[in-house]
Amino acid sequence: MSFLVLENIKKSFGQTQVVKDFDMSIEKGEFVSFLGPSGCGKTTVLRMIAGFETPSGGRISINGKDQNRLKTSQRNIGMVFQAYALFPNMNVFDNVAFGLKVAGKPKAEIEARVKEMLSLIRLDHLADRYPYQLSGGQQQRVALARALAPKPQVLLLDEPLSALDAKIRVSLREEIRQIQSQLGITTVFVTHDQEEALSISDRIVVMNAGRADQIGTPSEIYNHPATRFVASFVGTLNMIEATVADPAANTVNVGDNVVRLRESVGALRAGDKLSIALRPEAGSLSENAKGDTSLTGKVVSSHFLGSVIRTKIDVGGNRISFDMFNAPDAVMPQAGETVTLRFNASDFLIVRD
Amino acid sequence: MKTSRVLAWIAIAIGAIYFFVPLIGTFEFSLRMRRGEYSFDAYQSVFSDIQFQQTFGFSMLMALFTIIFGMLLVVPTAYWVRLRLPQVRPVIEFITLLPLVIPAIVIVFGYLRLYNSSSWLPFTGSVGGTNTLLVLSYMTLSLPYMYRAVDTAMRAIDVRTLTEAAEILGAKWPTIMFRCIFPNVMSGVLSGAFITFAIVMGEFTMAALLNRPAFGPYLQLVGANKAYEPSALAIIAFAITWLSMGLLQLVTRFSKLTPSRP
Repeated sequence: MSFLVLENIKKSFGQTQVVKDFDMSIEKGEFVSFLGPSGCGKTTVLRMIAGFETPSGGRISINGKDQNRLKTSQRNIGMVFQAYALFPNMNVFDNVAFGLKVAGKPKAEIEARVKEMLSLIRLDHLADRYPYQLSGGQQQRVALARALAPKPQVLLLDEPLSALDAKIRVSLREEIRQIQSQLGITTVFVTHDQEEALSISDRIVVMNAGRADQIGTPSEIYNHPATRFVASFVGTLNMIEATVADPAANTVNVGDNVVRLRESVGALRAGDKLSIALRPEAGSLSENAKGDTSLTGKVVSSHFLGSVIRTKIDVGGNRISFDMFNAPDAVMPQAGETVTLRFNASDFLIVRD
Repeated sequence: MKTSRVLAWIAIAIGAIYFFVPLIGTFEFSLRMRRGEYSFDAYQSVFSDIQFQQTFGFSMLMALFTIIFGMLLVVPTAYWVRLRLPQVRPVIEFITLLPLVIPAIVIVFGYLRLYNSSSWLPFTGSVGGTNTLLVLSYMTLSLPYMYRAVDTAMRAIDVRTLTEAAEILGAKWPTIMFRCIFPNVMSGVLSGAFITFAIVMGEFTMAALLNRPAFGPYLQLVGANKAYEPSALAIIAFAITWLSMGLLQLVTRFSKLTPSRP
C-alpha cells in the first residue's frame, strides 16, 4: 500500500476549479516533484496535503490514515516555504527547536536533535545567529532543518529554491536530495523549473490546468512525453507537422522527406496531418553518423553558444533547431547550405493533445 | 548659496523660533519662582504636591491599562484582518480613523448617555466602572495611532507564511499569537504604546467629564490657581511626550526583528 495517497482530489475557488480529479500514490521514501507553469494547481495540491486548503472533493491519506479531518497542526508534516518563513524573533537554534518545543519534548532531547539537524545542514557554527544575519541559502537550509527536526512523516517543499541565485540553487538542490536520501523521508517538491525537477526526482508529475498530464520518471517524462503540453513544457522540442504517407508502412512525409516512424500512426489514414516531435540534441550532421532515418533541409542560421552550436534547419516549411556539442574541430554549418540530419526513428515522438 | 536654499533655511528658522521661543520662555518663567534668581522651586513645589503624585500615578495606571487592553484588542484584530478578512480592511481602517474626526467631547457625551448609572450597562455607577469607562475611552482615542502602528509592523513581516510555518510545526493559536506574531510586531506595539502613553498623560476632556482624578484635569486646575507651577508642569508634560517619542525612535531604530525575506 502506498504511503501518501491522493484520491480524486478536487479544489474549487468560487466558480473556478483549480484542481480536477487528481490521483496519485507516493511510496515511502520517494521524492516526487510537481512540475508545471504558474496557476496549474501544483501549489494548491501541496497546500491540501499540508492542510492549509480543504479539498472540495476526494481523499488524502498518509500511511493509511485519512488526513481530511485533521488540522494542519495534527498532521506531522514538515514544510519548507519559498519565502523561508523563519521566525525573525528567534535565532537559528530556536527556529529549529520550535516544532520540538511545541511538541513538549524534554530539553535535553531538543538540544540533541537541534544539534543533529544543524550538523546535517552544516550550520552548527551559526546557531546563535538571527535570520537577518544569514544569506538566503543559509536561511533556506535552516528552514529545512526546522521542518525536519520534529521527524515529520512527509516533507513538503514549496518552490524552496526559486528565491535563490543560480549557483546556490544548484548546490542546495543537491544538498536537499542528499539529505532526503539519507533520511529516507517521503518528499513532495513543487517547482516550475524543469531542470530542478528532472535532476532530483524519483518521479515527476507534470501538471496542466489542474490535472496531472503525465506521471513518470524523469527519463520517461523527457524521452516519452505523453501529451503536447508535456512535450513543450519539459525541455526544448521541435514540433514538426507531417502528413501520413502510408499507414501500413508507418511512413510520413516531412516536406520532400519520407520517414518511417517506430511508433504506430494508429487509425490515421494517408494524407492525414500528424504532429511529431524531435529533441534538438537528437541526431547528427556527420555523414558517418549512425541512424536509420534522416531529414534533409537548408540551414537558416547557425549560432555559437559556447558549449553547443545551435543550427536552425528548414525542412519542408518546418523550422528544426538542432544542437551539437562544441568541439575544437567542429565546423559551423553555413546559412543556405543543404544538410542532412541523421537520427534514429525512435527519436521521433508522436505528439497527442 | 542658491536663493531657494536660503529661503528654505529662513523657513526652518521661522518654524524653529515659533516652536522654541514659547518653550524657552515657559522654561525661563518656570525658574523664576524665587525672587531675583533662577531656581527649580516651581518644580520642587509641583513634585512635592500630593495631588500631583496622585494624579500622575492615576494617569500612569490608566495609560498602562489602556496599552495592555488596547494591544489585546488591536493586535488580534489587525492579524485577523490581514490573514482571514482582507476584504473588511477598508471598514476597519474607517472605524479606527473615526476618533480623529469625532471630537472627544462628543464621544464622552455619547458614553455618558449610553453608560450612565440608570442605563442597562451602568459603568458610571461605581468608581471601578467609571475607571473602566475611562480606559475604554482612552482606547478609542488611541485607536487611530495604535492600529496603524501595529498594522505597519505586520506589513513588514509575512504574517500568513509565518502563521502557516508555525501551524505546520504543530503550534496552536495561542502559541502562534504570542510566540510568533506578537514578538515580531513588537516595534509597532511599542510605538503604539508610547503614543498612547503620551495621549493619556495629557488628555483632559474624557477625564474631566467622567470626573476622574487624572493628570490632565490637574494641569488645568493648577493653571487656573497658581503662577509658576503651570509653566513647570507644561515643561514636565513636554518632557514626558519627548521621552515617549525618543523611546519610540529608539525602538524602531534598534529593532532587530528584521523580517527574513527572500
